[in-house]
Amino acid sequence: MSEPRALNEFIVEANEILETLGRELLALDQPGGGEADPDRLNAVFRAAHSLKGLSSMFGLDGISKLAHRAEDVLDALRLGRAPLSATLLDSLGQAVDVLEHMLGAVSRGEDQADLNAAADALGTELTRLATGEASTDADVLDQVGIDPQVRAVFTEYEEHRLRENVKKGVGLWKVRAVFSLTDFDVRLADLNRVLKPLGEVVSTLPSSQPGDDASIAFDLIFGSARSRTEISSVLPSDISMEGLTKRAFTPTPPPPPSMPARPSPTPYNAKPLPSWDESSGSGFALPAPPSSSPSGLSSPSRVQTDASLRSLTNTVRVDITRLDGLMNSIGELLLVRGNLERLAEAARNATGSALPKLWGQELQREARTLARRLDELQKGVLEVRMVPLVQVFDKLARLMRRLVRESGKEVDFDMSGGDVELDKLIVEELSDPLMHLLRNALDHGVELPSARVQKGKDERATIGLVARQQGNHVIIEVKDDGAGLDESRIREVAISRGLVTEEQVEEMDRRELLNLVFQPGFSTRKDVSELSGRGVGLDVVKTNLQRLSGLIDIDSRRYAGTTFTLTLPLTLAIIRALMVNVSRRTYAIPLNAVLEIVPVREDALRTIEKREVFEVRGQTIPFVRLARLFGLEEEKRTVHYVVVVGIAQQRLGLAVDELLGQQDIVTKPLSGRLRGTPGVSGATELGDRRAVLVLDIAALLEEIVRPQLEPRSA
Amino acid sequence: MTPRFDQLLDRFFYRPDEDEGPYLANAPRVERAAHAMEEVPEEFLSFSLEGETYAVPIHAVREILKITAVTEIPRAAKNVIGLINVRGEMLPLYDVKTRLKLSTKLPQLRGAGDVPRAARIVLLKDLEGDAGILVDRVSGVVKLQLSKLEEAPDLGVERSAIAGIARRGEDLFILLDVEQALS
Repeated sequence: MSEPRALNEFIVEANEILETLGRELLALDQPGGGEADPDRLNAVFRAAHSLKGLSSMFGLDGISKLAHRAEDVLDALRLGRAPLSATLLDSLGQAVDVLEHMLGAVSRGEDQADLNAAADALGTELTRLATGEASTDADVLDQVGIDPQVRAVFTEYEEHRLRENVKKGVGLWKVRAVFSLTDFDVRLADLNRVLKPLGEVVSTLPSSQPGDDASIAFDLIFGSARSRTEISSVLPSDISMEGLTKRAFTPTPPPPPSMPARPSPTPYNAKPLPSWDESSGSGFALPAPPSSSPSGLSSPSRVQTDASLRSLTNTVRVDITRLDGLMNSIGELLLVRGNLERLAEAARNATGSALPKLWGQELQREARTLARRLDELQKGVLEVRMVPLVQVFDKLARLMRRLVRESGKEVDFDMSGGDVELDKLIVEELSDPLMHLLRNALDHGVELPSARVQKGKDERATIGLVARQQGNHVIIEVKDDGAGLDESRIREVAISRGLVTEEQVEEMDRRELLNLVFQPGFSTRKDVSELSGRGVGLDVVKTNLQRLSGLIDIDSRRYAGTTFTLTLPLTLAIIRALMVNVSRRTYAIPLNAVLEIVPVREDALRTIEKREVFEVRGQTIPFVRLARLFGLEEEKRTVHYVVVVGIAQQRLGLAVDELLGQQDIVTKPLSGRLRGTPGVSGATELGDRRAVLVLDIAALLEEIVRPQLEPRSA
Repeated sequence: MTPRFDQLLDRFFYRPDEDEGPYLANAPRVERAAHAMEEVPEEFLSFSLEGETYAVPIHAVREILKITAVTEIPRAAKNVIGLINVRGEMLPLYDVKTRLKLSTKLPQLRGAGDVPRAARIVLLKDLEGDAGILVDRVSGVVKLQLSKLEEAPDLGVERSAIAGIARRGEDLFILLDVEQALS
């Protein structure tokens, strides 16, 4: 993945992760905060983990390696294997710092050899700190008089708790209890109950020195701050206890440093430490590492810290609704522009005195400049809204990897065209339909390896996700080389579900037949699989796409595979529209769907099964009188203006009364109550503030070009 | 009931005079009781439809608009007159007369010229999306006591859009169930 766009995306995301890391680390370093908040530790751990994953995806080994080391340390912290010490936090802070600089080097395309060296040193240091803690902790436990054999059976958690108790400086006791085999479970529970209020039962072990045949002995490792007399007073008389630590009631001081040159860090809660910004006095910069840290390590990162506190990227993340607001303002400006042009035109054409004429010309020139600038502004805002499909593709790839593993099928997942850009709104809405199609391909499309071999196909199947731009649209294909759709089965099911009659099926061509799978209530497989989920069919995918003014088409060959083709507009926000009048009402037709405008004589119309059609260059196209479709009064005319619209391969001729010209419009969705109004995707306002409906061409094509599937509208 | 149980009940039940303590102890008892009973009346916006007076809770009203340009929506629900542009927001305008069986025909409304001058659009707040209803005249704000609401008499007409009936002196107010009236 070397596309610069994807790399930029990575840098932005990695930067955010590092910011989170830095912030959370600072929060962990709150002086006097006592024990580290486990949620916070987990958050930091996750951040390091995702940074590792992301960077390794981009082949940035240096970053990935250091992130990995940090992750290890954090994992140790999380599991209590290492205590949160100031030194450790400092090193982690330095790691964040070095990572930031490495990221900076990546973004500038620089060589990062020296940084890598620093990272390596830091990585080693982190590992040492993580494991070093563990070894000193082992020393702590060594002080406790527990038989090594006994210690060997402790779980990691028990050991951790034991360590905590040692650190708390409470007394550790071995409580020896011998119970009769007949009632030992009850008595053991009783014993636990009386001990609980006094301290912590770290571990309950069947004793290594068993009693006689009729009884069983237990050793309870018990940590408590109470005195021996206090504890023994609650114990039944037949239970003995002995101390485990030599100095039971004095807090155990940190063990002596194992290496003289590198004193091991003081435990975090030993004394409050100044937070980073306090000691450095300059915001979030890291302080000079404490003297305990080896000097060879601290110098590179410190120099870099001083170099710059500026962030790496100039990226700003913006809530999409703000862009929507900008879009609306631009839409209103476009209206003003239109009015200005009209005024200028009127003034220029004014008869009589020359002065208004001159003003008119001046005004017109200015209006044109304004128009040009507005175009730039509009294009700019549209561009800002565009994001690469890779945002959703990556998520899908991760999902597919998991699903493929679970499915037991052998599948190569091919992805391309992630750099194709679409309006953010569309990209977000696309993830669910695409996920559904991919799951379908894996679940229903691709066969098991054995079945594939039988059919003479490669054992490994291929599922593809391909995007490309085509004019004003983006085409996304989801294809598999699996079993394909069984046409005769589709025919059967469609008839049995009452979706179509037998006669209708007879007249359908292959494509129409295949498209039956998008009908609500259609599913060829009886068993519902875990993969494809329940109750959600292809009809939902189709509805989702229609909401985006998109189309979906299917092609499939039995035993050869299935391809779903999604056609989507580049943007939904500002569109250029053809304004038309029908029965004195104005409608907007999105220009990206308009192919041409042709005059058609009334007597040139033909009918096929009572539906009107006309011909353009040998192609027969359905003819729709919008006035009639919308239930408005029709004007009698001998020649119709026909707006030929089409998306993908579907064509439709819309007869209108008047063409008003093109205009940029901001489409506003209809409110919740009106959603689902057929053939209307939204509304826009014109100069007179009247709402103008925007026709939903995808829906109209759906409704009219495939009327076999719908009851005929009157 | 045993005396002991009586005692328990006695202790259990809350008595306002115990709580208010000595401060109000001297106040006339009767008045206080009456005060406690009095209900705060709710405010309603009243308007007329075909000579009848209707009302909706004032908190359900977003604003009152003069008639603006209305765009018909082909093939929309039967009681939708059209789309209105409220400062850039595209909202539906509903006819409630057909819903209430006060009229049989959806009014043809494209602009201010198509209806009497007194007609207004009452914009109602609603979870499913704000919507306007066309009224003949807005009368004003009235205070009505919810406790005195009557159930609408069964006259064999569509009643599901009517929440109830309230009287104030001579006047009769029909309370509209907004949710139902727009469906």
